[in-house]
Amino acid sequence: MKHSSIFSTAMHRRLDRRALLRGVGGVGAAGGIAALAGCGSLSSASAEEISFWHLLSGPDGVTMSGLLDEYMATDGAADVTQTVLGWGAPYYTKLAMASAGGRAPDIAVMHSARVPGYAPGGLLDAWDLDLLGEFGIRQEDFPELIWDKMEVEGELLNIALDSHPFVLYYNTDIADEAGVLDSDGLLLPTETPEDFRDLALELSGAAPSGYGLSFGWLGDGMNQWRMFYTYYTQMGGTMELPEGGTMQYQEEIAIDAIEWILSLIDGEAGNPSHDGGTAISEFATGGSGAFFGGVWEIGSYRDEGVPFDMTMVPGVFGPPTAYADSHSFVLPFQSSPDPERRRAVHALVAHVLKHSLAWADAGHIPAYTPVVEDPAYQELEPQSHYADAIDHLVYDPPAWFTGSGSDFSTYFGNTMQNVWARRTDPLEGWNAFVGRIDDLLAKPSPM
Amino acid sequence: MTTTDGLATPSGTARPAAGVSSELRRRRRRADNLRGWLYCLPFLAAFVLFLIWPTIYGFWMSLTGTSLAGTKTGFVGLENYAEAFSDPYVWSSLLNTVWFTVLSAVPLVIVALVLAVLVNIGLPGQWFWRLSFFMPFLLASTVASQFWVWMYNPQLGLINTVLGWFGITGPAWLQDPNLAMISVVVMTVWWTVGFNFLLYLTALQNIPDHLYEAASLDGAGRWRRLISITLPQLAPTTVLVLVLQMLASLKVFDQIYQMTAGGPGGDTRPILLYVYEVGFTGYRLGYASAISYIFFFLIIIVSIGYMVISSRRSVKS
Repeated sequence: MKHSSIFSTAMHRRLDRRALLRGVGGVGAAGGIAALAGCGSLSSASAEEISFWHLLSGPDGVTMSGLLDEYMATDGAADVTQTVLGWGAPYYTKLAMASAGGRAPDIAVMHSARVPGYAPGGLLDAWDLDLLGEFGIRQEDFPELIWDKMEVEGELLNIALDSHPFVLYYNTDIADEAGVLDSDGLLLPTETPEDFRDLALELSGAAPSGYGLSFGWLGDGMNQWRMFYTYYTQMGGTMELPEGGTMQYQEEIAIDAIEWILSLIDGEAGNPSHDGGTAISEFATGGSGAFFGGVWEIGSYRDEGVPFDMTMVPGVFGPPTAYADSHSFVLPFQSSPDPERRRAVHALVAHVLKHSLAWADAGHIPAYTPVVEDPAYQELEPQSHYADAIDHLVYDPPAWFTGSGSDFSTYFGNTMQNVWARRTDPLEGWNAFVGRIDDLLAKPSPM
Repeated sequence: MTTTDGLATPSGTARPAAGVSSELRRRRRRADNLRGWLYCLPFLAAFVLFLIWPTIYGFWMSLTGTSLAGTKTGFVGLENYAEAFSDPYVWSSLLNTVWFTVLSAVPLVIVALVLAVLVNIGLPGQWFWRLSFFMPFLLASTVASQFWVWMYNPQLGLINTVLGWFGITGPAWLQDPNLAMISVVVMTVWWTVGFNFLLYLTALQNIPDHLYEAASLDGAGRWRRLISITLPQLAPTTVLVLVLQMLASLKVFDQIYQMTAGGPGGDTRPILLYVYEVGFTGYRLGYASAISYIFFFLIIIVSIGYMVISSRRSVKS
């Protein structure tokens, strides 16, 4: 649900005892009654009001609300008002315009990979690491690959809450029947592309749909990009998008990665032409053996009751890689931020990070290492089975037009769709993509 | 003769009092004018605030490099326009918009006419037909789009399931470059034909019965009456429907944004979606404004075309 494009706006506001007291105080003042003994305690309890914008709907939204409620129940906490907007472009355009119009919320969620493109517009303020330290959050609490994304040109612009990689789900019943589970009930390791293909074919043999692998790509540029970039980087490919230059990449590796994916969606190992919804429902109903997708589908599969486990996409060309992005907290630019509110926002983030075990339940890997190292997390299944991904994360190459829900993956889908549909030659499709991106690079960043 | 009579026939007997009454009339008219403007004021304020001013401001923005973040607001002259004219995506999306307009306007006029004539023949249960043809028009674009996204779904959709009963493997309607635009057009016809249908039905019901009676007496059959009376009588409505339809089709955005997001490969991306991409997800408001103005110019030409045609018609009649 989270990654669908359904627009949703919802306001959630907590009316607690404190707010009620303040209300009563207000009525009292209006009535001309001098505040008496309660005055002092009332003013000290008159918490800051924090506005918080994010794009977490569905189960993620529920989890976030729970975390915020917990935070607000702590001593001296601020009151948080959430505004939830539709995932992707609708959210980002509104956030940018609100910030440009001087009506920015006190705190917002962004995808880490979008921050480098967004920051030069002056729309973000930096976090105060010292202040975070007061609340017990330090640099060494984050994995290196994630911290790299949190700093942009030396400034700490976003605090990652999680990473949500692209992984492999597998149906344990089907895998068992196909004889591809080890004695611990985990998917057998695969070392080479041939191994992996054999495994997929074994799964196909045992799967009711006849497809070992489900992968929804039709009309979904984002998912096509996740799959491509996972294998492209696994094969050792790199990509750079220098402004004013041209896309830097390895053509041979790109074509190999495309050919490899085509060999998986050949109608034998995997489905040939599923869209996202079809692939999800195929796996959710126990039709297919395995499913390529983001960790956030955990909730829906659990609800469907399909027996499944998860693993990183196996590294059959080299060390595994996990294409990912992170939900992270940002401080939208304010011309004269109120120090007390800023302080409260830092406290809020620290609280949510430390309690992000709840967040892990929805599939995301918490960015805050102490939570991941906690035995409670290690007991979570299947979450702990792909937690190693934090050492193998790859994010979108930085540019002003990349990151989750940006035009970059839309253009990838636009130009590559016909390649996956086997209507266009891989090189031709790839060159069209490169051409599109070079057009964008030729123009200066608008921010 | 009373004064009222005099007012009714100004050239008649009221002449002696002309000086006084015309002065009075002028004063009254001025008071009326003032009152008229006062009544219009709320509308005028909204009109200036939400249409005139944005139009002027948008034009100014098109001459700057303004970003969504409100930065880079410097004047760049006609640079944005020059870029737009050499931007292949402007042309391809403009072509898509025109193609969509051609593909959709024709069936939206013809189907509406056929439906209206059929209903007007006097089929039993007229209210039912009227309701079912008009009802889709009342749906929000999101709802109508979702209906069709699911109907078009290659694996689970209604259309391919039905085709499957006959052993036919249906295509991926919205993802096949050759079919995507047609599929969107079919959905659009279903969704919006009700409005034109209603215009036609009203026009049909306004054709005087005596024309048909006279024709019947002269021995004209059903077909003859349709060709010689109904269609000519509907001509003004057809011009209206066609122009309204063209303007509506040129503005296509909602259903395409929701059904294909402009894909596959940009084959269904209309100009307004490109404006949205450039301006909002691409942060380039200035450039997006310039493209909008080029498109605005195109719409003005279509509107002037309509005014010329309709004024000629009124002169003729």
